[in-house]
Amino acid sequence: MMRARGAARYTLALGFGLLLAPFAARAQQPAAADDSGVDADNAGDGYTPAEGSASPPAFQVSGYVDLGFAHAQGDGTSFPAGDTRLPADYGVDTFATAVNSRGDVASTDAGGRFVNGFLPRSVGIGGHASPLVNVVDFDLRYNVPAAPLMFFSRLQLLPRFTGTGDDTRPLLEQAFARWVPFDAQELALSVGKFDSVVGIEYLDNESNIRIGVTPSLLARYTTGQSLGAKAFYRVQIPAAWSAVSLNLAATTSGSFVESLQMPDVSLTGVPVGSGRLGYELNLPRFQLKLGGSGVYGPRNDQQDRQVLQRVLDGDLRIAVAGLYLNAEYVHVDEDEGHTPKFTSLGVYQLVSAFHERGYYAQLAYGLAIDAGALHKITIYGRYERRHAWFQGFTPLLVDRITGGLRVDLWESVIVKGEVLINRELAGSPSVPNNVQTLSVVYSF
Amino acid sequence: MRSRPFRRLVFIVGSVSMLAAGASAHAAPASQRTGGWLGEELPLPLAVRTPQDLAVKQVAERQYLIFNLLAGGKLAWDAGDWATAANKWEALLRLPALDPEIDRVIRPLAHEARAKAGGAPVAETAPAPAPSTTVPAPATAAATETSPAAREARITVAVSGTLSGGGSQGPGGAVIWLKRHGGETPRPAPAKGKVIDQRNKSFMPHVLAVPVGSKVDFRNEDAIFHNVFSLSKPNDFDTGLYRQGASYSQVFKKAGPVQLLCNIHSSMLGYVYVVDTPYYTQADGSGAFMIKGVPPGEYDLSIWHEGASKELHQRVTVGADGVRGLEIKVAGDRRSPSFLPDKSGKPRQTQLGY
Repeated sequence: MMRARGAARYTLALGFGLLLAPFAARAQQPAAADDSGVDADNAGDGYTPAEGSASPPAFQVSGYVDLGFAHAQGDGTSFPAGDTRLPADYGVDTFATAVNSRGDVASTDAGGRFVNGFLPRSVGIGGHASPLVNVVDFDLRYNVPAAPLMFFSRLQLLPRFTGTGDDTRPLLEQAFARWVPFDAQELALSVGKFDSVVGIEYLDNESNIRIGVTPSLLARYTTGQSLGAKAFYRVQIPAAWSAVSLNLAATTSGSFVESLQMPDVSLTGVPVGSGRLGYELNLPRFQLKLGGSGVYGPRNDQQDRQVLQRVLDGDLRIAVAGLYLNAEYVHVDEDEGHTPKFTSLGVYQLVSAFHERGYYAQLAYGLAIDAGALHKITIYGRYERRHAWFQGFTPLLVDRITGGLRVDLWESVIVKGEVLINRELAGSPSVPNNVQTLSVVYSF
Repeated sequence: MRSRPFRRLVFIVGSVSMLAAGASAHAAPASQRTGGWLGEELPLPLAVRTPQDLAVKQVAERQYLIFNLLAGGKLAWDAGDWATAANKWEALLRLPALDPEIDRVIRPLAHEARAKAGGAPVAETAPAPAPSTTVPAPATAAATETSPAAREARITVAVSGTLSGGGSQGPGGAVIWLKRHGGETPRPAPAKGKVIDQRNKSFMPHVLAVPVGSKVDFRNEDAIFHNVFSLSKPNDFDTGLYRQGASYSQVFKKAGPVQLLCNIHSSMLGYVYVVDTPYYTQADGSGAFMIKGVPPGEYDLSIWHEGASKELHQRVTVGADGVRGLEIKVAGDRRSPSFLPDKSGKPRQTQLGY
């Protein structure tokens, strides 16, 4: 009897429960068909490679091949016909006819006139349109297992490297060890040959990173590599989505590019000091970076440590909604020397004091596209202005307007086309030296 | 001698039949009204005009299915048809979120019926009960498109196999998922309790697959600040900076791969893959995988792997016994990116350390 009563209660309760079930379910899930879903019990905890392999492999090789096609007006130089001033390279901007990311120009052939080493590297194509192998780059990286130590080297093959374009030279552009001594601090110490710490253009100096094809007219003063030691330290300010960083270096030479000084040896025995103080605002859809940097020390084309070089630089970067604004001001002063100067191009007799004031601003808009091979299209424009003078020679004022288009294909190919309009505003006759250049970069 | 569970079964069948009898006067199909009290047809011809109607229909069909399997098994048992009884009760036990009381009563009987019929269960082990708030998938699509057995019981099976390839990274971490071919795939329930740690300047796990709508907690276990951001639209996000021990939650609402990066540490890389199906899994380090809870039918199987430039797709027919031994090679043609971007999209040279 007791059992029968219990069964009846159970049946009643179950029946009542079943009657209410739809409404109860609806009450728990207001729109059950829309808000819930099937739980097939497939949710896992994810995948992490076996211990030690979650990090990048210890040894990595990457790099890129940069193929180009370029044409410069006139004879590929900025030397005006009939200009008899000497040295010829003191009266013009010899870096104007850049054709690739390294700033190599179409030509530096002065027609037999005397030049004094204020020259870039040249691909030697003159005024002829020509295909180019700009750079074949190999980046080798070794992360020491279980230690915060990394070795990095960047080896580049630079075909057509000499003025006559008949040579291929390997260049060890960078080779350094980087040590991160503390887990809880953003401190990185590097020793070896590395990029300068001045300004911002060195950050995208390589053609597989640079938005456009050519460097600015001021890159010659800020994007060189040299031997030494550097320390980078950064403090995050989470409440303000900000960070402040300090980058300090002591090196054999300053931040000038290789063709203007001796980067791999110290001619004075006194290091050149350089540094940059930076501020970052990293909001989700707006990033602002500001920096002030400088160089102070002996000119490294001189053996007299009393002959100094000084560089001041201010930089600005803004990124918002696919727009990128990069701007930089560069101020250079070099003392006059009294002995011949030694650069990577040779030995030159005049060591004039030199001064430069200039700036550039580049605006780019990148539109990400996911359409098969086409990944991104970027249009960009750059304006730059450079006022420079050698002591006792005519000051030169030039500007340049650059426009270009970059197309990113797949994940490893970049095609860039660019037009450079060079203008001599004062101190030099106007000369046809505009450039059209194309670069196809394959990264591996 | 009748066992005690069997007496419970009598009560349950009785109560369910009372309910079903009441409902059948209004809702049972014509064949059922004119024939016996066990029906075979789904969906029930209940009018659906509002979301509430749909919810009622879902629950009614579920109870209808439970009743049929419960009572059908009993009838087969009484007739000495042990195999049919075992099949029906095993199918019943596979239903998600089944009343524990029914499970407790039926499970020993199902085992006994199977033992008497001889042989092992035909389908996979029953999935773990779903959370009590989970409403099962609409039975309509599965019931009308699959075999009679599935139509009867929404039998779910497993799809398993092994991946190879994946380049130097191997096949581990590949995300494999199924979507119904020519039909609607049930919407997955969001996964709960998913966490990605930032540890030793790495994302752990390196790859996590979650259903749409899932919340993932990003937890900083390093003694330094971290940031997590993604530029992968439409799941792009930015956590800002947070210190050791803190975490940030992000809900992933759209299907697709989500690349995870840190704006401070230029070498950190991880992935969330968001799927819009409940039938998914990830390959382990050896490439082995198993997707559970799959109703038989035609499916499109897809695979994403971080080392492959394209997702891989192929058709799979899932029978009543599931699918075993799939062998698929995933491509490894996509190399690891040399330069990971910062949150503005600009590439960073990792060797600089900033």
